[in-house]
Amino acid sequence: MDGWAGQRLRVDLTKGKITKEPLTLEYRKKWIGGRGFNSDVIYNEVPPEMSPFDPRTRVCFGVGPMNGTAAPSTGRVTVTCKSPLTGGFGDSSMGGHWGAEVKYAGYDQIIIQGKAKNPVYIWIDDDKVEIRDASHLWGKFPRDADTMIKEELKDEDIHIMLIGPAGENMVRFACTFNDVWRAAGRTGHGAVIGSKNLKGIATRGSGGVKIARPKEFMEVCNKLRQKFKNDPMKIGLYELGSLCLINFANKDGWLPWKNLQYGGTPLANNMSGETHSQTVLKHREGCYACPICCGRFTEIKEGRWAGEHFGGPEYEHAVPTGPRVGIIEDANDIWHNARLTNDLGMDGIETGAVISSAMEWYQRGLITTKDTGGMELEWGDEDVVDQLIQDIAYRRGFGNVLAEGASRASDKLGLGDDGQYYTIATRGMALPGDDPRGLGFGYGLSFAMGTRGGCDHLRSLCCLELSGALYPGLNTKYLGDERPQKPTTTAGKPYMVYYEENQKAVVDCLNVCCFTTHWSYAVLTQDQLDYFNACTGLDMTLDEFLEVGERVHNLERAYWALLMSGAREDRVPERFTNEPMPQHVDYQTNVGATLPIGEMLPKYYKYRDYEAGTGFPSERKLKQLGLGYVAEDIKPLRKKYMSETEKKKKKYYY
Amino acid sequence: MAVMNKQQAKKLAEMNDFFLDLLNLLKEKRVISNKEHRTFLLTGYEKLVEHLGKKKIISPVDAKKAMKSGFTSLVSSLSK
Repeated sequence: MDGWAGQRLRVDLTKGKITKEPLTLEYRKKWIGGRGFNSDVIYNEVPPEMSPFDPRTRVCFGVGPMNGTAAPSTGRVTVTCKSPLTGGFGDSSMGGHWGAEVKYAGYDQIIIQGKAKNPVYIWIDDDKVEIRDASHLWGKFPRDADTMIKEELKDEDIHIMLIGPAGENMVRFACTFNDVWRAAGRTGHGAVIGSKNLKGIATRGSGGVKIARPKEFMEVCNKLRQKFKNDPMKIGLYELGSLCLINFANKDGWLPWKNLQYGGTPLANNMSGETHSQTVLKHREGCYACPICCGRFTEIKEGRWAGEHFGGPEYEHAVPTGPRVGIIEDANDIWHNARLTNDLGMDGIETGAVISSAMEWYQRGLITTKDTGGMELEWGDEDVVDQLIQDIAYRRGFGNVLAEGASRASDKLGLGDDGQYYTIATRGMALPGDDPRGLGFGYGLSFAMGTRGGCDHLRSLCCLELSGALYPGLNTKYLGDERPQKPTTTAGKPYMVYYEENQKAVVDCLNVCCFTTHWSYAVLTQDQLDYFNACTGLDMTLDEFLEVGERVHNLERAYWALLMSGAREDRVPERFTNEPMPQHVDYQTNVGATLPIGEMLPKYYKYRDYEAGTGFPSERKLKQLGLGYVAEDIKPLRKKYMSETEKKKKKYYY
Repeated sequence: MAVMNKQQAKKLAEMNDFFLDLLNLLKEKRVISNKEHRTFLLTGYEKLVEHLGKKKIISPVDAKKAMKSGFTSLVSSLSK
């Protein structure tokens, strides 16, 4: 078996049953691994009407053929489930070293189903798998549970996936970590894991990965590592982490300020990568086989939070509980808030998003202190943000309402469409820290079309418009046109998003970090194919390779169709279409911009071969991708979706 | 080899998002097959230009220019 381990592990926590299932070559060629394996399981084993907290639901951890090899940045793991935040398809990805360890233990995927009677953790020691008591770990932060498990198993070198208290309390946007700090942040799978009474999965693997054509494989890997040496994105990410984006975001008007009422703040530099590295950076860290090492480790040295330390933060982690809630004057407050969401085990993006939505509801008089339990939700009040983060994690008071996510919280508070306007979400998942009125119209289109709930920067990760300027000629190479490089143009964006979505999907199947394949473009699509073929011994062509990505994307889209989610829900928050970007600094580049989503959608649908009325993938497209059974599932739903009854329903989540 | 007239070339060159329309036109003119249409939709512009150069639909010089300058150069070559 080359590349893959060739089997997956299924753990039924209700029955206490552990099984190993072989993965045929045909299956592996069809889905490759990671996101592909996981999406297939969710589609086939989790009916769309099932509650995400039903014990019968599945949570999948997908690795793939490249995990555990020398290919750059191939250490990621995809986590997939039916999302408790959106009610639809949901996945997330994390770096670290756990993915390689799972592979060394002999598995390409782990599927968890059922529910344990009491808190447990799973211990995978190569082919020996046990379900162990975790009652002593329940309630612990991931950093503490990690230490305790390593002491219990007497091995400092094992790698562990864990949830925090927020997952145990089924906060709808709880997340998972491995190696304590590497998070799979989005879509709320931490809550699903917590609903199963599962604290984590500890893993030790003593095997290796067999490479089909090792000389060829190492030539490709070494060539890529050379490319990274002088890569501009790599240098920036190593030096400053993803916080290197702060000042760019501020200039181009995509740094969320006060729930995206503005695209930045004059004080943005307080939290820039430059400032972070000069004041609180303790050391840099890298994930498995990564030449970039963008990871930060932060230690707060002074002020109210002096002595706190943690892994991180990323841009997307720091911004939501920083400028998005109006905090910028003291960056230590921002680092503290990021530390809190880490320790409590919550998606930093969704945490900041729900608090900032609540602040805007309060600002506009939609809620009062009667709703908040007496709290005055003033922008920039760190005491309020600190308290709310904890109250959300432990589901206390007003925090218990916000723990449902902004869209559900708005409904619980009876705020109607007015409340939903300020949730800045699509299909129930909040936008991350990137305003498409500045970051780019391609991003905006991908937010509307994202298959894990929309409003997501990672579904296409249109870095041809983010990084394109650093790589002259790259837009022409793939798209035939340099115009899409400009963020605030619609030119070429429908094709850009189509191309990048497929590309990103296959990258997720390989579990390669997108910082090496989309941000930096040091690893081009052809390079990915070359190392994949050398590793597995297959000789896939480029179109077959990218077709896997298109297949995965369409399967996920079809899952949303089963939930009656289609063209009417392909939208962005109205703030982006209705409100011209106001000015916050005099050097800002996108003053007055709005997102012309309507100009891009029809053409994008044509690229995707989605039906104009429903937005469902066409029968022709699904059959072309070998998904004829999916076409049959959707067929009876087309008429229903177009019925007057369905048209009247407002679906903010599912 | 002219596979489109000047008017078609001008229309394509002025489009906001041209790639699918270009592939559709090339398929309609039987310059590329159904399978090739699908392949280039997935793999992108550079692979299309390589193919058109190999098949001598455009000259090597025009293929090189199209790689460098993008689609307006390509459609100009296809309408010569």
